[in-house]
Parts: sequence; C-alpha cells; structure tokens
Amino acid sequence: MSQTTADVRIRPLEDTDLGEITALDEKIAGSYRPEVWERRVAYYFRRDPDACLVAEADGRVVGFMFGDLRSGEFGLEEPTGWIEVMAVDPELRGQAVGRSLAESLMEHFRSSGAVAVRTMVDADSSGIEGFFVSLGFAPATLRPFVKRL
Amino acid sequence: MKMTKTHLPKKFHSAVVKWQQTFLPDYDFLLDNWDKHFPRDRSFELCAFRELGICGEIECGDAKGQPKVTRAAELHPEQAGHLLGAIRAQASTEFGSIQQHQLTLARAQSEEEQFWILRMMAEELRHGYQMLHLLLEDDWTAVSDATGEEIVEETLSMRTGSHILGAFNIDFDSFVDNAVFCALIDRVGKYQLAMQKVSAYKPMAESMPQMLREEAFHLAAGVVPLRRWMEQAATGSPYVTASDIQKAINKWYPRGLEMFGDERGGGTNVRYGLKPMKNQEAQDQYIVEVEKLVRDLNMRFIRARLPKLDLKQADKLLDEILADRGSVQGIAWEELVHLPDRAFFRRRGVPAFELVGWDGESLDDLADYLEHLQKHLPDAYRAGRDFQNYVEQARKLAAGEITLRDAVSAMPELRRVGGVCPCSKSVRWVADDAPATAATTACPAAATRPPHRAPAR
Repeated sequence: MSQTTADVRIRPLEDTDLGEITALDEKIAGSYRPEVWERRVAYYFRRDPDACLVAEADGRVVGFMFGDLRSGEFGLEEPTGWIEVMAVDPELRGQAVGRSLAESLMEHFRSSGAVAVRTMVDADSSGIEGFFVSLGFAPATLRPFVKRL
Repeated sequence: MKMTKTHLPKKFHSAVVKWQQTFLPDYDFLLDNWDKHFPRDRSFELCAFRELGICGEIECGDAKGQPKVTRAAELHPEQAGHLLGAIRAQASTEFGSIQQHQLTLARAQSEEEQFWILRMMAEELRHGYQMLHLLLEDDWTAVSDATGEEIVEETLSMRTGSHILGAFNIDFDSFVDNAVFCALIDRVGKYQLAMQKVSAYKPMAESMPQMLREEAFHLAAGVVPLRRWMEQAATGSPYVTASDIQKAINKWYPRGLEMFGDERGGGTNVRYGLKPMKNQEAQDQYIVEVEKLVRDLNMRFIRARLPKLDLKQADKLLDEILADRGSVQGIAWEELVHLPDRAFFRRRGVPAFELVGWDGESLDDLADYLEHLQKHLPDAYRAGRDFQNYVEQARKLAAGEITLRDAVSAMPELRRVGGVCPCSKSVRWVADDAPATAATTACPAAATRPPHRAPAR
C-alpha cells in the first residue's frame, strides 16, 4: 500500500478497525453508531475487501474510504468503481489523507478493470465536492432522483 | 486483477458435492436464500480461483529473486514435502471447520448472524476445494506414496477428532463457539493465507488472494456478533454473558497460538521461500491483533453500560479498570474480557504442558492446575473428549509414564474410529462415474440424523 507522508500509510481495512472507524464517525458526525458500522463493514467485506482502505497515523485510524466495483447499474454497462463512504479525521484535513486514500482506491479499481470511478456528493457539501474536483472528478449527466415514501 | 476459474475433474467435484451434502446440508438453503441475505453480492460458486499477475519472483529465503516454481517437481524433495504438508493441513482445516460450525449452527438466535456463518461455511468449502485443486493439479508422487485420489479421499474422510491441527478436533458447544472460532481461529487462518501468498510455489501463491478476500468477512462474522453480545451483556441481557465469551476465548486462544507451530520453528519454511515469517514472529503479531480486538470488545461494553461517557472518557475508564483490576464507575475488571497468558493451557510449542495459569502464574501441582482449568474453561468443553485427552496426557506426564514429546505428539490424534463413521471403511467419497449431484446420503450414520431442519428459525 502507498505511503502518503512520513506519518500516514494507507492499508486495507481490518475487522479490528471497527472501533476506530466508529470513533472517527462519532468525531465527525457527533453520534455513536456502532451497530451501523458493524453492518456496513460486514457488507463491504463481503463485496470487495480490497476496496476498503484506511489511513493510519501513529498506529491509529485517521481516515477511511470504502468502495465497490460494479457494472450494469443505471444503464452503465462499463465496469465502474464507486466511492461510497469516506471520512478523514478533522485534525488531519488538508494533509492529503483523503487524496492518498482516493488514489489508492482508484488504483485498485483500475487494476480490477474499471474504466471510470463515480461517486455522489450532497449539493450542500461544497468541501467534499471540491475534494473530488481536485482529484479530477467532473459533474456527470447521471442525476440522482428521489421520492419520499 | 484477473482470475482464472477452474473446476475439479468430475469425479473429484462429485466427491466434494457428496461431502457437502453430508456435512453442510444447509448449502442449498443458503443458495435459495442468498438474495434475501446478500442481495447485492455475487452469487456463490464451488470452484477454484487463481489470481494472475502476482509477483513472479521468490520473495524470501535462499532462492529470493529467482522465478517462482509452477510444478512441485522443480522443488527440492524436502521443500516439496513441506509444501505438500502445508496444503494438506490447509485443506484439512477448511473442511474441518465446516464440520465444527455445523454442530451448533442451528442454535443461533439471530437469523442474520446465522446466515453469515452459513455463508462462511460455504466459502470454507470453496477454500477446501481450492486446496484439492492444488493437490490434483500437480504430481506429488516424488514426495508422497499416495496418489492424488488417495490424498483427496483421506482429506474428505477426516472428521472432528482426526484432523491435522488440534483446533479442528474440538467440538463446538454453543453458537458462542461459532463466533469466537471465527474471531480467533480464522484470524490465524488469515495469517497463514497471507504468509502463503508469497509462496515460492506459484499455484499456492495464486490461490491465496481470493481466499484472503473471503477470509476478511469470516473474521467479521465472528467479531460483529461478539461486539453485539458485549453490548447486550453490559445492559443485563440474560443470553450471552461476558463470562461466556471469556471462557470461550480461554478455550480457543491457546489452540490458535499453537496453529502457528512451535515458537522455535518456522525457519525452514522461510528458507524454502514458502512463508515470510517464522512461527514466533507471526504469533507475536497475532497476539497484538487479538489484544486490539479484546480492547474493542471492552469498549463496546463500557459505552453500552455508561452511554453518557464520550469516547475519551470511556477509553480512560477502561485504562483505569485494567490498571488496578478494580471497579470504576460500577464496572468491575471481572465483567470485561481479557486474554489469557500465552502459556496458559498449552499442549504444543515451548510452554506445552507447563502448569502456567490464566494470568501467567506458575502452579506446582497438576491437581491444582486442573482445578484452575475447571474455573476458566467452559463446562461443556470440559465434559468433552478433547479436554479428557489433555488431562490424561498431563496425568501420564506428571506420573513419569510418558515423555513430554509423547504427550505433545499424542494430543492431536483424537481419532474416534479412524474415519468418517463406524462404517468408514465402506465409505468412499471419490468414486468413478459418480453422479454430479449425488442425492443419496453417503454414510448410514449420517442417514440416522434427525430430518434436516432449515437453520433459520
């Protein structure tokens, strides 16, 4: 796995990271949701564990990015890597942790045969949008629609 | 990442299917309900995967930098012998764990967790299939008198009690064992697979990546229920208590440590380029990882018991409890789970049959030690054959009737009757012209089981 700075390294997610993943989410979102992350981690492990990466600094998890390689959805037949979940410790933002995670994940998608990488960003999250734009992402014509039930 | 997919020759594939029908009867139920529990996941297939494009040079040992070999005949006979032993042991563990999980699968209280284990069992079947593929793809006659067919037959004939490694000869007593086994024993499996990923024997190295991917979920299938049980235990659930989990850890952790092999060994495998780490080094890393898991379980407990604490406060509280082994804010050290000393209840390796207690303390007298074990091991386990064998060997050793070497080598050989059942001599898994989907039960003993009930409640 790639080395980002002298202190941060990118590696595959381990089941023993669950506590730290939950803690990082709690730090960012302000709520403790272990059951959510237990189910999510089990889900991503089942699907594509190589597409589940964490950033580690000083022996602790400071960021993570989970994704999945799929095709055949929304009329997209081409093998596509999807970046679905990510977080970076607020204290380490601006230190290329997210970029390193994304580059490692995109390399995995590329080596797995993906020809594109996609993600969805909340229109209110300008910071995250800026992050993906800085990585070369551009708005796609495929737009999400929703109807409340 | 490109993979090839292979099926065994028909008669061997049929043998595995026949084995599955006997020891994994819920397989079809799993496949029928796959979309309900794993709606977006790829469907399961019984086959062997080989990943292409892996490192082509030997990554450790005397021949580091030379091309990896693709045939066993290219290896030194002693090297090939070691490799064959590793493949047979790996195959034994894969099939063995299914037999163990099946014992208590139906007792799960959660349908989700039950299906996780069931899926894991199917994937272990595929891993066993993968090892049979390695045994059948190559010619091992230079290092074994047995033909490929005989090796497959022998592997499929093993049962709990006749497997190669001790951890796979122990019966499960409850669904707690299913979870703790995944969290502790599958974790050793992960280390073995990761080490074999660099094997100088390319077919072995190519077999590992997909197995490792699947293993990640197997660990989660154990760890997640444990975390949930710790949360429930903290709030007074009458089902699985922290004490139950602790005793299961005490039962499995020593066997997990022994799966790495004798702490003094492993150098030969490294020299031969078959593994990158000696036994002790890998075992040390494993212990650090399990310590992290245990701390995580305790944090889950504390956060559930004292929900007003934030992460830092809970972390500090745990440190205080561990430091004094006392009680802080109503949580006692005894309510949490802990790892036993690495020399506790060992029967192989450096501390084999030493009277080392759970806390690392030395006991002088065997009777005292057995009383100590009685306190720390699950009741149902102590009533079983595995513990009985341990006690018998320990007593003979203490009386000077056998040597330590005898005791150590005697332990894993818990053969019940030498085969799959009392009629084992008449049971053949590999048969010429076997139907691809053998519907008949393979052995009369299996046929007398109660009618199959689906594992889901």
